[in-house]
Amino acid sequence: MITIAIAKGRLQESALSLLARAGIRLSEDGLNSRRLALTDDSGNYRFIFVKPADVPVYVEHGIADCGVVGRDVLLETQADLLLPLDLGIARCRIVVAAADAQAMTKVQGMMRVATKYSQIASAHFGARGIPVEIIQLSGSVELAPALGLADMIVDLVETGRTLRENGLVVVDEIAESTGRLVVNRASYQLKSQEVGRLVSALETVIAPVNTVSFRQDFQDVQD
Amino acid sequence: MTSRIPAGMRYYIGAEARLRRTVEDVAMSVFEGWNYEEVITPSVDYYDLFEQGMGPREAQRGFRFTDNDGRLLALRPDVTSSVARMAATLLSERPRPLRFCYAAPVFRQQTQSHAEWRRENTQLGCELIGVGGTPADLEVLRLAAEILSRLKLQSGYCITINNVEIFNGVAVDLNLGDAAREQLRRLIDTREAAELRRFLRECTSNEARAFSQPTRLTGKREVIVNARELITNSRSVTALDSLEQLWNEIESLGLQDSFEIDLGDVSSLDYYTGLSLKIFVHGAGTSVGRGGRYDGLTGSFGRAEPAVGFVLNLDALTEVLLRRMSQQ
Repeated sequence: MITIAIAKGRLQESALSLLARAGIRLSEDGLNSRRLALTDDSGNYRFIFVKPADVPVYVEHGIADCGVVGRDVLLETQADLLLPLDLGIARCRIVVAAADAQAMTKVQGMMRVATKYSQIASAHFGARGIPVEIIQLSGSVELAPALGLADMIVDLVETGRTLRENGLVVVDEIAESTGRLVVNRASYQLKSQEVGRLVSALETVIAPVNTVSFRQDFQDVQD
Repeated sequence: MTSRIPAGMRYYIGAEARLRRTVEDVAMSVFEGWNYEEVITPSVDYYDLFEQGMGPREAQRGFRFTDNDGRLLALRPDVTSSVARMAATLLSERPRPLRFCYAAPVFRQQTQSHAEWRRENTQLGCELIGVGGTPADLEVLRLAAEILSRLKLQSGYCITINNVEIFNGVAVDLNLGDAAREQLRRLIDTREAAELRRFLRECTSNEARAFSQPTRLTGKREVIVNARELITNSRSVTALDSLEQLWNEIESLGLQDSFEIDLGDVSSLDYYTGLSLKIFVHGAGTSVGRGGRYDGLTGSFGRAEPAVGFVLNLDALTEVLLRRMSQQ
């Protein structure tokens, strides 16, 4: 049996429907319950549902063998994991946004950036030689510029509606993010058959995607 | 006085300390059985030594401080660097091969992954210096396997082997710049299939395709057979030959169930020059040991000669064994 950690929230539903199409199904009863650990119908997979930022933690420690989590979380946590599949789900962008499209050139003195993604933000501005003050928030980041806490924000954007409704525009795009299958390095060797089965089952149901290359920003964040 | 303990440090008390000593004794007695001489190296040494021995990126993880004269010192982050210097200088006249083993704590101020909590780890290690080729590689692999089975882990471990020259030969053949080579290395290391295919699509060489399907990089003998269909440059072929030779020996010893070939193990390319190995044990989320051939290392201390070795992490092994005992 292998254990798969699923990021709760935004990504959960599309991850479960992708897994169902790959033949890995959870019972309705289980899904409707409030249990955080469930076994699939075949008994080959155990699922645990945790906060997105905790998925890399469980997988890196080998408590979960695999995980499904957004690339935004992986870039932010810099977890040492294998990333065999881009699942193409929960597609969104990590962007820099501000009230004024010219904010980058207009701000006087040190720029203040509010974000949930302090690592990604400091790597992005650091690689460009722009000194910024990072203000770490845990939610409702779009409020910060309007209230004067920050000059701009770094945040995840799916449709752009929240940005628009809070009077913000995208100034720069940092990276694209989609749901990824991540695998623990030891599990990849010690449970190679089970992990291999999961990877190939998922591979057959992933929509062929036309993703752009974003290796460059990956490097920015790692440097 | 404070009751606080620095991050990554811990006590071992009673049964756990005893188990830890037992594991150490088992490893040291296996080493001794193969005529490995124990060596105790200085705990504190010049930072330069480790920078030369491990490369700056790894050495920088160490605890550093200054000597009376202002020179930079480090609390040893590894033992191999020091043994290599000793072989090349102090023992340069001694007849080869040299066989050394040790059980020694090493220290890292910054750990490599979030899962590596400890900043003090005891390494159980060995170095075989002055002899190259398959017999030497096989000797250290057999040592590792013997220690693990003496610890009653025989069905629960996996040693992956690779020869880093397979990747190096392909990278030269692709004529990649430093940045592109590092990018390819990272994509293979993290098995990013989709991005690998995208990266390699721009390569005209057929050989690159050998790395485009990460799932074909791990397995038994068939991995080498598959790789040979695509890889033809002489540097890589030589490496494939020696990996196959090693695999033949592993099979003839009946150890193939505990070993796996992993051409995707390209994590320490700048350090190893041939064989590279990683040791995994059920119940540990990260590798509990690693090693390989480092023919380039002693040369930087003035006497170039072949060398191969590995280390096991005593603390990680003890943790796995302790958990198993409490589950029984």
